[in-house]
Amino acid sequence: MPLAEAVRKFIPDGCRLRSSGIGLRKPLAFVYEIMRQRKRDLTFLQSGMTEDADLLLGAGCLDRIEGSYLGLEAFGLAHCYRRAVERGVPRSVLVEEYSNFGMTMRFMASAMGLPFMPIRSHLGSDLLRVESFRHPKAVVLDDPFGSGDRVALLPACPVDVSMLHAQRCDEDGNVQIWGQLGDDVWGTLAGRRIVVSVEEVVPSKVVRRDPNRTVVPGFRVDAIVHAPFGSHPYQVQGYYDADVPFRREYAERSATADGWQAWADAWVYGVEDHAGYRTKLGSERLERLRAKRLPSGRVNYGY
Amino acid sequence: MDTEPGTGPVRDYRRTELMAICAAREVRDGEVAFIGTGLPMLGGMLAKHLHAPHSILVFESGVVDARPTRTPLSIGDACLVPGSAMLAGLVEVFGLLMQPGYVDVGFLGAAQIDRFGNLNTTAIGAYGSPKVRLPGSGGGNDIGSLAKRFIVMMKQDVRKFVPRVDYVTTPGYLDGPGGRERAGLPRGGPAAVITDLGIYRFDEDTKEMVLASVHPGVRVEDIKENVAWEIRLPERVRATKAPTKRELRVLRTKCDPQGIFLGA
Repeated sequence: MPLAEAVRKFIPDGCRLRSSGIGLRKPLAFVYEIMRQRKRDLTFLQSGMTEDADLLLGAGCLDRIEGSYLGLEAFGLAHCYRRAVERGVPRSVLVEEYSNFGMTMRFMASAMGLPFMPIRSHLGSDLLRVESFRHPKAVVLDDPFGSGDRVALLPACPVDVSMLHAQRCDEDGNVQIWGQLGDDVWGTLAGRRIVVSVEEVVPSKVVRRDPNRTVVPGFRVDAIVHAPFGSHPYQVQGYYDADVPFRREYAERSATADGWQAWADAWVYGVEDHAGYRTKLGSERLERLRAKRLPSGRVNYGY
Repeated sequence: MDTEPGTGPVRDYRRTELMAICAAREVRDGEVAFIGTGLPMLGGMLAKHLHAPHSILVFESGVVDARPTRTPLSIGDACLVPGSAMLAGLVEVFGLLMQPGYVDVGFLGAAQIDRFGNLNTTAIGAYGSPKVRLPGSGGGNDIGSLAKRFIVMMKQDVRKFVPRVDYVTTPGYLDGPGGRERAGLPRGGPAAVITDLGIYRFDEDTKEMVLASVHPGVRVEDIKENVAWEIRLPERVRATKAPTKRELRVLRTKCDPQGIFLGA
């Protein structure tokens, strides 16, 4: 399905939308298209958020965030996030925060159809005490079975739509990822609807020869978008490396609202679609990023 | 002074290099160490190259026993994957390794720390209308709550070393002795704070931060001027052991040859 159609059809204004990837495999082709379609009032959900959330904040697409981290990692603080929270520019955003493990447990609860999950972190900290828009945000419980252990109960995190960028899938939508999984397995499966962009669509026999690598079965997937370099400037294991100068430039230019707007006009609003974005990057730049070959060992699935 | 090649102290180094080396010295051989982005990563890699070859480096994105051959840019860097012993996700490393108590030491950074080692990485100023909005917990709260001990690494100044943090993102000893137990935390707490000026540890009884050593060239007055409460001093202030030639050589050539985190 074309990227624009998937976003138009499955990501309505006001929905609870999950991103994916912790420090890699970010679904940025989706994020750019959401900006182009000027979606409004989204609630953005994930543990480790970076440019994905910062871009949508700069574009004024987000109303609320539930997460645990929003920054540009080695490249510093997220400037659109700062402007939104500190000054309400371009609009204010409400934030409910947990830890990385906490958000993952909340996604796990949703994915399993459970109302909450217990966890042993959060206790004693302001993550438990300071609420924004969820009440109660968490509940402390002493083990009713008498062990003496105390836990925090965190509410399930309902997800209307999960976005995932994956290495590959087959024609039936069976999705395979490898490398660090972060919170992607539980987080993606928490989605009532699941949209996936992939580097490659492969024949079904490729997936079925290595089914241990499948993280989402095709029958749970609502849309597949073929988007090579769909995570640029992030890494995708086995496909391409991080575009470090690109991320550094974003961090620098987004420091002011005008600088951000000029960046977004050039790289998002000024290109028609993801193919246009790739063209603007240029094949030379993309070829430099391409991953070297380091194939896995093989296992015997025979019996 | 330097009679045994490679083990003597050297003078020509950066403060960031000394911080990474101090971090490495905190990792004991055979320990499971939970590593965050930046200097802790270099510390973990350095420890493995030097005195702790059997330590296991775990990254929250899901990598267990990583052996990276280049400097990882973040905890999610794909270069951590080839050569690692196990690859999974957040649930496995936090839920199955850290929550039940199999992680010995974790490393954390912070924008503010207080006398009981509580950390703020969330917001400076009032939470609802902050002066500076910071990234938030990430895995920090989990590491500080669930590792057997944690080490803090941060640049030090008087606005960062405050009597009470604006927001407790990660629990240190909370309000002092018994604070973690009263909150129901299963174990752990801060063991050391490594800054660009010195190293601090925590009094076993009062749980209060105490100066342990000053870095070479730093005076006790510098320490006092850069802590917003009256910092407890030991009877005799020691100097942090300067980097050895071997520590510096391995750090510069094997851990961060491009100076990404150490400075070019």
